[in-house]
Formats: sequence, structure tokens, C-alpha cells
Amino acid sequence: MKKLFELLDRYLIPVMTKLSEQRHLRAIRDGIISTIPLIIVGSFFMIIAFPPIPALAAMVKPYANQILLPFRFTMGLMALYACHSIGYHLAKSYNLDGVSGGLLALAAFFLTSVPVSMENKGLALLMENLGGGGMFVAIIMAIFAVEVLRFAKERKLTIRMPEGVPDSVARSFEALIPAALIIPAVWLVRDVVGFDIQQFVMGLFQPLVLAGNSLAGVLTPIILITLLWATGIHGDSVVGTVARPIWLVLLDQNIAAAAAGQPIPNIAPEPFFQWFVWIGGSGATIGLVFLMLRSRSPYLRSVGKATLLPGICNINEPVIFGVPVMLNPLLFVPFLVGPVVAGTLTYFAMQLELVTKPYILVPWTLPAPIGAYLATGGDWRAMVLVLVNISIVTGLYYPFFKAYERKLLSEEANLIQEEAR
Amino acid sequence: MMKVLLVCSGGMSSAIVVKAIEKEAEREGLSMVVKSVGTGELAEELKNGWNLVLVAPQVRHRLDELRQKASVHNVPVALIPPQGYSPLGGAIVLAEIKKLGS
Repeated sequence: MKKLFELLDRYLIPVMTKLSEQRHLRAIRDGIISTIPLIIVGSFFMIIAFPPIPALAAMVKPYANQILLPFRFTMGLMALYACHSIGYHLAKSYNLDGVSGGLLALAAFFLTSVPVSMENKGLALLMENLGGGGMFVAIIMAIFAVEVLRFAKERKLTIRMPEGVPDSVARSFEALIPAALIIPAVWLVRDVVGFDIQQFVMGLFQPLVLAGNSLAGVLTPIILITLLWATGIHGDSVVGTVARPIWLVLLDQNIAAAAAGQPIPNIAPEPFFQWFVWIGGSGATIGLVFLMLRSRSPYLRSVGKATLLPGICNINEPVIFGVPVMLNPLLFVPFLVGPVVAGTLTYFAMQLELVTKPYILVPWTLPAPIGAYLATGGDWRAMVLVLVNISIVTGLYYPFFKAYERKLLSEEANLIQEEAR
Repeated sequence: MMKVLLVCSGGMSSAIVVKAIEKEAEREGLSMVVKSVGTGELAEELKNGWNLVLVAPQVRHRLDELRQKASVHNVPVALIPPQGYSPLGGAIVLAEIKKLGS
């Protein structure tokens, strides 16, 4: 077991952390995270438009379209918001003007669309491509735009303002030449050559999205995240850097289907992991916390008491570093196996349509049964599944917890004996 | 008065440790300002003048990046020992702060 931790430390951790700290991936992560509040508040309107109580649902049904508008302008335009903030964060990471980066990214992204002519009403932009479906296009165009901005700055292809011009004015002119490069370039490719960038990119990433929704695509992030946390590294933030765009596309497809009254297609957007796997935090440590509350070891009991409330809110750093679970060979097994079992079980329960697939993003600090209920648009069976998962992981932790408890008790007894001597 | 800033991924778990440090500092009669932020807010918060930045163990893979941000303001950066990163770890972290602050 010690050897395993050494191997992880030598091979997995450096690769994973380097990947997650790569500049462009970091900008994507920070950019997408900035849009999460809009997505959470926006998808809340989904619950209002389709409440889980039938009588209420019938009452609001005539107004569903109006109620859904805030959702359509947040979640429905997700790629647009993400594009701007990815451009902003990437530009910032190069010490360039963030606002210019965000605006150039937006312009490049918009230019991949072709407006549709509406009779008597002018031109219209299809919202479809500005939501989750356009996420990968948004990411690529944001990177392209900011790289051009950086290239221009490095080659000194900027218009320099005379001394005395305010800084903010001068900075905005720095984007003039990059804009003159980006806009014609995208226009040439999209509208003159007629190459459909959106269709091409979506096709390119389609296999990745499909893979993310398979059982292997569910278990891979689960295993990687627990392995990282087992060595005390924030697994979710590392793995999420790469996986979150895919999770968001899956979520967007689900929520769009739900809004259109169609069956929900995908099992594995992020709420799948949040509510059914990471119960009490990564590693499904809520089971461990419950066991500690009644431990014979005074130390574990006090850790249990102190970590119960944060654990219910899915914050488990105190468990991981306090127990500790980190680098603990005894607790490593249930820490890894528990989430794998919970994930597999949930996957099949949803595939067999015993439980609704999640399609709503709610704040991750809610207690898991409530979060699962809301994320599935109010399916009580989701709560039952969470409770089943909790009992399974608690059972899995039990023998290993007992062994660790014995070890601690004998250490505590030795300590007392030594002090008595 | 010593001002210590804790950084973790989202500023949530470090808030628990902040409470533990505050409690321990009060017990020892030390006056100290402790606050928690997420990695995203660090650069902005540093402008408010801090004496020490402590990084949560689970984001230690981002230490270089965080150190760079703090170096702009000449604020020293240290890692929180893993065993101190819990509601019961106040004494451990406070001892670390005293060691670094002196």
C-alpha cells in the first residue's frame, strides 16, 4: 500500500496537476466556474416552471414559457458567457487587458454563427449554438482570439498612444490591431470559404461527450478524483478542469430535453457525481463520519462531531486531513471502492429508468438527499437512491474503520502507559 | 496586529480552519485577523494588505502560482501542515504562524 502511494506521488500526481495547471486549461476552468452562478439561478426557473407537485405543475403550465425565459437567457446562452470569461482569464494570465481579451473572444465566437433572416423582423441569431452545444466552439475561439492578442503584443503590433493619454484608453487601443486580425480571419474561414466551424468542432468533440456519458466515462473521473484526494490533492478541481466542459454539455442536453418535454438523454452531468457519488464530499466520507460519531476512540469521536455539519454540506477536507484519510492505507480501500460502487449502482439505476437522470444544477453545499431531489426535478426515488448509497458506503467503511479504530486505541493505550511510567 | 490569509479551492473548507485558529488565538490571548478566500479571489484580496498567506494542503499543487501572486505584494507564503487542516488543528496551525511570524 505504501508503494501504491509512492507510485501515485511519482507518476499520477505530477501529470494530473501539471495538466490542471496548464495555462489554457486553467483559463477554461476559471472561465467556466465564473458562469456557474448564472447556471444555478437560471436552472432554478426550470424547477419553478415544472414543479415536482402535480397540482402545482398544472397550475403553472400555461405560464411555463414566460417562466423559462430567465433560464433561456442564462443556461441557454452558457457558451456565450463562458467565452467572454475564458477570454478574460486567459488574457489576464498573460498580463494582458482582461476586458479586451473577453471582447475579442466574443467577437470571434459570434462570427462563427450566421444570422437567419426573419421576415419583417430583421436578422436573428439562433440561440441553440450559443448554449451548451456551442461550448467547445466558444473555448476554441476564446483561445484563438487571446493568442492573437498576445502575438500582436509580443511582436509590438500595437498602436501606441502619445504620452499623457490615460492608461485605460491606451489599453483599449492595444486591441485594435488584434481585432483587425481576428475578425477578418474568422469571417474569411466562415463566410467566404464557407467552412462551418461550429459543425466541425461539435463533430470533433462528439466522441468525447459520448464517452463522458458511458460507464467507463463515469468511473474514470471517480477513480482519478479519489486517487488524488487519497494523497491529499483537491481531485475535483484537478479532474474537473478537463471534465467540466463535457459535464456542462451533457447537462445542457438534459435540461434542453426537459424543457421541451422530451425524455432526458444523459446520465452523467456533474450533478450525478455531486449527489449520488460524492455524498458528504469526495470519497463519500459521510459514511465514515457517521461511524466516527460512535467510535470508542475519543479522538475519532471528536473528529466525527467536528466534521458532521461540514460533511452534511459536502465539505470533507476536515475528514480527509483530520482523521486522516490522506495516505491512510486502511481507509484507502473504502475511500476508493465506495464511490465506485455508488457510481456504478446509480448509473444502472438511471439507465433502467428507476431514477430520473439529473438535469438541474443546484448549489453543491445542500445535503445530498435534498440536492438529489432537486437535481432530478423532484424525483423522490433519487432521495431513496442516495440513502441506499449512504448505507452501502457506510457498510464498506465499517470493517476498515474498525481496524483503524483498533490501531488508534492501541496507540492511545501505549501513550498512556508510557506517560504513566 | 498579525493578518493571516488562508487560501483553499473555494474558501469553504479553510473557513473551518479559520475558526479553529481564531479560537486557539483567543485562548492564548493573541490578537490576530484571520480570513479565508478561494484561489480565484487571492489576487484581489492581497491588495488589502496581509502579513502571511497560508495555503491549504489540497491545493499545494498550485503553490507556485499562488506564491507568484503573493510575491507581487511581498507577502510570504507557506503551506498548512495536513494534520493542522481540521477543526481540531487550530493549535498546530497557530504554532506554525508564530514560527513564521517571528
